[in-house]
Amino acid sequence: MKPILDEVFRPVRLARGLPNEHYIDDLVYEEERDAVLFATWAGIGFGKDIPDAGDVMPVDFVGMPLVAARREDGAISVYQNTCRHRGMVLVQEKTNVRGTFRCPYHSWCYGLDGRLRATPHVGGPGHNVHADIDRDELGLIAIRSHVFMDVIFVNVSGRAPGFAEVHGGLLERWREFDLPAYHGGGDSSFALDLACNWKLAVENNCESYHLPWIHPGLNSYSRLEDHYNLELPGSCSGQGSRVYRRLAGEKGETFPDFPGLGERWATGSEYVSLYPNVLLGVHCDHLFAIVLEPLGTSRTREHVSIYYAEPTVRNARYRTLREANARQWREIFLEDLFVVEGMQKGRRGQFFDGGRFSPVMDGPTHLFHHWVATMVEAGRRGPAE
Amino acid sequence: MTRFAAEKDEGRGVSEDAAFLAAHSAGDNRRLVELYRAAGLSRIDSGDIDAGCFFLTQAYVFSLEAGLRDSAELHGLLAARGREE
Repeated sequence: MKPILDEVFRPVRLARGLPNEHYIDDLVYEEERDAVLFATWAGIGFGKDIPDAGDVMPVDFVGMPLVAARREDGAISVYQNTCRHRGMVLVQEKTNVRGTFRCPYHSWCYGLDGRLRATPHVGGPGHNVHADIDRDELGLIAIRSHVFMDVIFVNVSGRAPGFAEVHGGLLERWREFDLPAYHGGGDSSFALDLACNWKLAVENNCESYHLPWIHPGLNSYSRLEDHYNLELPGSCSGQGSRVYRRLAGEKGETFPDFPGLGERWATGSEYVSLYPNVLLGVHCDHLFAIVLEPLGTSRTREHVSIYYAEPTVRNARYRTLREANARQWREIFLEDLFVVEGMQKGRRGQFFDGGRFSPVMDGPTHLFHHWVATMVEAGRRGPAE
Repeated sequence: MTRFAAEKDEGRGVSEDAAFLAAHSAGDNRRLVELYRAAGLSRIDSGDIDAGCFFLTQAYVFSLEAGLRDSAELHGLLAARGREE
């Protein structure tokens, strides 16, 4: 029986969180795959991982085989990673396609634009055409995609409103960061394996309530009262801080700032969970993006990438500072590990009822629960006519 | 090599087979194109159009995959015989 979600829809002061089944039940996990992850704009990876024309990267997105490709014009396209002939997975590993994707089974070939270019021997040996095989109808299935802050988003269902329509509020709020940002290189990416449902990592990122207890080091300069809640219904929720402090090296060296930022960003930073599975942070001197890769009801891989205002930050002279910044974030995210994993274990408690929220501190977390419940209910009703 | 190709290619010597296998094993598209193209043209010269187009198709596919310039010429050879769009 599918869990009842009525309690989630109540105002935050009265609401309960999503029922346990949303964290531990395989059937609900699959229901959320379709109704939440496939029906909206979900993150699947980073553009920095396919920097050059012809770079292709297979992605297993909640079991769905996808391939992200950097086309000749520099834009990114995402396709279903499945040959239109016998359903073979086309791209098995990250590579650079110099010409076409060649299916390793019968060698049907597709261009980076997804067009079917060759169907060898389809009409018999040495006959590569057949009246009943229309190549124009047999290109790779394109998956709707969008790139924001270097995160590759896909809408698998193809039915979500446009990315800018869904996330227009955040795009406007962060329009000053609509600038080129440069990945810091190999030391500015890392991944963490979490023994928890993907939503618990989202939820933990939504609130600052836990900072004094879980991140006492952070709290020494960024106190709980320096934070504020961020709520953009249907798009994202999270927190902001009024006291961001730049990381400085031993000689006082700092990263260059993004140009043209308003005064509030001199000491301000914001962190949002962009629904469903992307976490973003902005500061005057760096950004980070996190893609949460759901791997099962209680397994998630957290992919973290850090970006800077200038490509020079990749140079050796910034190395120590860059590594310190990555290390600082890694330590913070590791501090969160036992919490998200503990909440996962706690949801095996048969009498846990979804939990009660702090009416003051948990608004952003409740907003996410409310959104998930809304998407799940919409999924149960089926696609609108 | 496919069984078909082997049957169609009774005249091919052991050393040529070894060259094909080595190129396949190495994933050397440029060499594969060279070998298949030569095999295709020789079959066509001897009047065996189907066998020739089989080998030219192989060459064409490997040239497409690698983005080699040969693909335009190979496409032309196949299209001229009604084997490509």
